[in-house]
Amino acid sequence: MKTMQFFKQCLVVCTLIGSLQVTGQRMVDRNGQVSFEASEALFEPVEATNNSVTAVLDVSTNEIASLALMKGFRFENSLMEEHFNENYMESETYPKATFKGQLLEFDLNSMTTEPQKIRVNGKLTLHGKEKAIDTFLEISAAKEVLQMKGSFSVTPKDFDISIPAIVQNKIAKEVIISLDFNLKAL
Amino acid sequence: MKKRLIIAIICLLVGIVALGTILNYTFNPKPRVIAEETAAFSTTATAIQLEFSDSELKASKKYLDQVLKISGEITAIETKSIILNNSVLINFLGDTLPDVQIGSVLLIKGRCVGFDELLMQVKVDQAQKLNK
Repeated sequence: MKTMQFFKQCLVVCTLIGSLQVTGQRMVDRNGQVSFEASEALFEPVEATNNSVTAVLDVSTNEIASLALMKGFRFENSLMEEHFNENYMESETYPKATFKGQLLEFDLNSMTTEPQKIRVNGKLTLHGKEKAIDTFLEISAAKEVLQMKGSFSVTPKDFDISIPAIVQNKIAKEVIISLDFNLKAL
Repeated sequence: MKKRLIIAIICLLVGIVALGTILNYTFNPKPRVIAEETAAFSTTATAIQLEFSDSELKASKKYLDQVLKISGEITAIETKSIILNNSVLINFLGDTLPDVQIGSVLLIKGRCVGFDELLMQVKVDQAQKLNK
């Protein structure tokens, strides 16, 4: 009877330690913000924001993964949103954009409230195509929240997205993607 | 002669207004108001998560962009979202969370945005609370 109890206690302690290790390693933001802008001067702004982007950082390996659902991008103009989903991104077939990469020379413990430039290297996948991304993020830490901000540019061509001739001069060739993540320990 | 001219002008004006209205509706359609739409499906948080994790493609075809009624137990409350049964993440209309507690049962109506495989959770936005 006593040995049983001992085993049970051991089990509880083990699972507790196990869960602590797992939770200590990952930081997550379930409501990260990603926007893109592809406006041309004199034409209606082409921009959208997604406020429910997921970002996960594995603190032990500095691997970062992010996922944005295409239908989560909201436009001012609902017709533009429809075209974005149906004609350009084909959201039913390719419902998400993912980024998988690595923060280089990053140490969580040396982060301060003063943003530091950290290089990130990885792959962005959307519309069934992949593109290597190498950019810098501004990372700061305050009150157990790790904030990441950054922006980089891609082109519709990178992802095999064709823009019809009729709207070609209304949509910028370079699309600027900006992100704002606030990660907390899981 | 004068009468004809007046009729012609009136016809032209009506035509312009009609054309304008049609063009306006075609190129500036009113945004969707999820709160006013009736739900296409009624389900529970665990059931819909299971459908998505089982076959994301099938579930996406069925639920993506549809208005859903989902019920479940609140397992987490975050700054901008509420999680039901660790399986559905809900963002509310205007980013204002209803006044609820962890452990209570919540029934919402919202739009299905898709499946997040990093979290293994279904995402719903523009939701509103239905139960008291």
